[in-house]
Amino acid sequence: MTKTDTVVGFDLALIERARKGDSRAFERLYRDHVGRVHGLCLRMTRNPDLAADCVQDTFIKAWKALPRFEARSSFSTWLHRIAVNTVLEKRRGPANAELVVEDPTEYEEPVLSFDTPVEESELEAAIQSLPRGAQDALVLCGVYGYEHSEAASMLGIAVGTCKAQLHRARGLLRDRLERGVR
Amino acid sequence: MTGQFFGRRVKRIDELAQDLPPGRDLWPAISAGIAQAIEAEKGASAPTVASSAGRYYWRPASALAAAVALVAVGMWIGRAMTLPSGDGMVASTPGAAENGAALIPTAWQRDEKYREQRNALLVEVQVRLQAMPAAERDKVGASLATLRRSIGEIEAALGRDPANALLQELLVNSCQEEMRALTAVRDAGSQES
Repeated sequence: MTKTDTVVGFDLALIERARKGDSRAFERLYRDHVGRVHGLCLRMTRNPDLAADCVQDTFIKAWKALPRFEARSSFSTWLHRIAVNTVLEKRRGPANAELVVEDPTEYEEPVLSFDTPVEESELEAAIQSLPRGAQDALVLCGVYGYEHSEAASMLGIAVGTCKAQLHRARGLLRDRLERGVR
Repeated sequence: MTGQFFGRRVKRIDELAQDLPPGRDLWPAISAGIAQAIEAEKGASAPTVASSAGRYYWRPASALAAAVALVAVGMWIGRAMTLPSGDGMVASTPGAAENGAALIPTAWQRDEKYREQRNALLVEVQVRLQAMPAAERDKVGASLATLRRSIGEIEAALGRDPANALLQELLVNSCQEEMRALTAVRDAGSQES
């Protein structure tokens, strides 16, 4: 049994309790997942106060939607899906400008890596400087490891668009890191 | 925002920390928001989260691994079968020491009567499983294994946090569910024979 299996199984036990109205169980879920949800919100909003608002809304929405949660996806992914929706709502407007994609397969690339190690704060600053659509794709696929299909579904865009945005993000990120953007 | 990050260097973007805890505890505000939502639901005469817990609406979404296993066992047994009540049953889990749960001085783990009942039941269930067609046996066996795994996971968590009342309650509930499932499998066998 892997650690992930254990965590997921434990989550399911807590979810079942929370569904029955046990707020202590839901608080435990909050404590276990808040860091990951906040990380996503912070990277997508670029604003600590707005990120905190999004986290609060995400968990309140999650509580309300618990009866509809199905164990097909992990609780963590489910929470992220709600968080992305919440961030997009708060941005008020279309999240991403659609890129024209002729052949999405040309954007299949390995994980973005650097020849020399980059300071975390420098990399985060470069990610923050990206255009919204590129940033969203990079955060979901690059940092949180979602497949293009999952990320595209969360963002409400086509898979090809997600791939193109990620491709664009990689290019811009490399360029900005080389120029030392802050 | 960059104040959240420390001077670590990374070579790949997926090495960035996924967890970035907020600077303050957001739970009080979330808890208040949930309370408001519950009040609003009550005001609208909608079923609250707590009051609708046992209703049909919640059943299809049974996410707990133990519950999923119970459903699978239940499907095999058939609709006509009524599961016996587990009221008053005490729980125990053989093999607990392997998971660190032996550290927990709980009454249910020392209950010899329960252990004997469970062991006897396991023997009967094994006999019943052997008589089943392979496909059914695999399905029921897998479901029972899922229940046992859930119990093991809760025990392991309790080993790390022995005073956690929520975990203790979860453990008792899961053990009761396991006993119900085992009893149901055994009784389904005796009904058919």
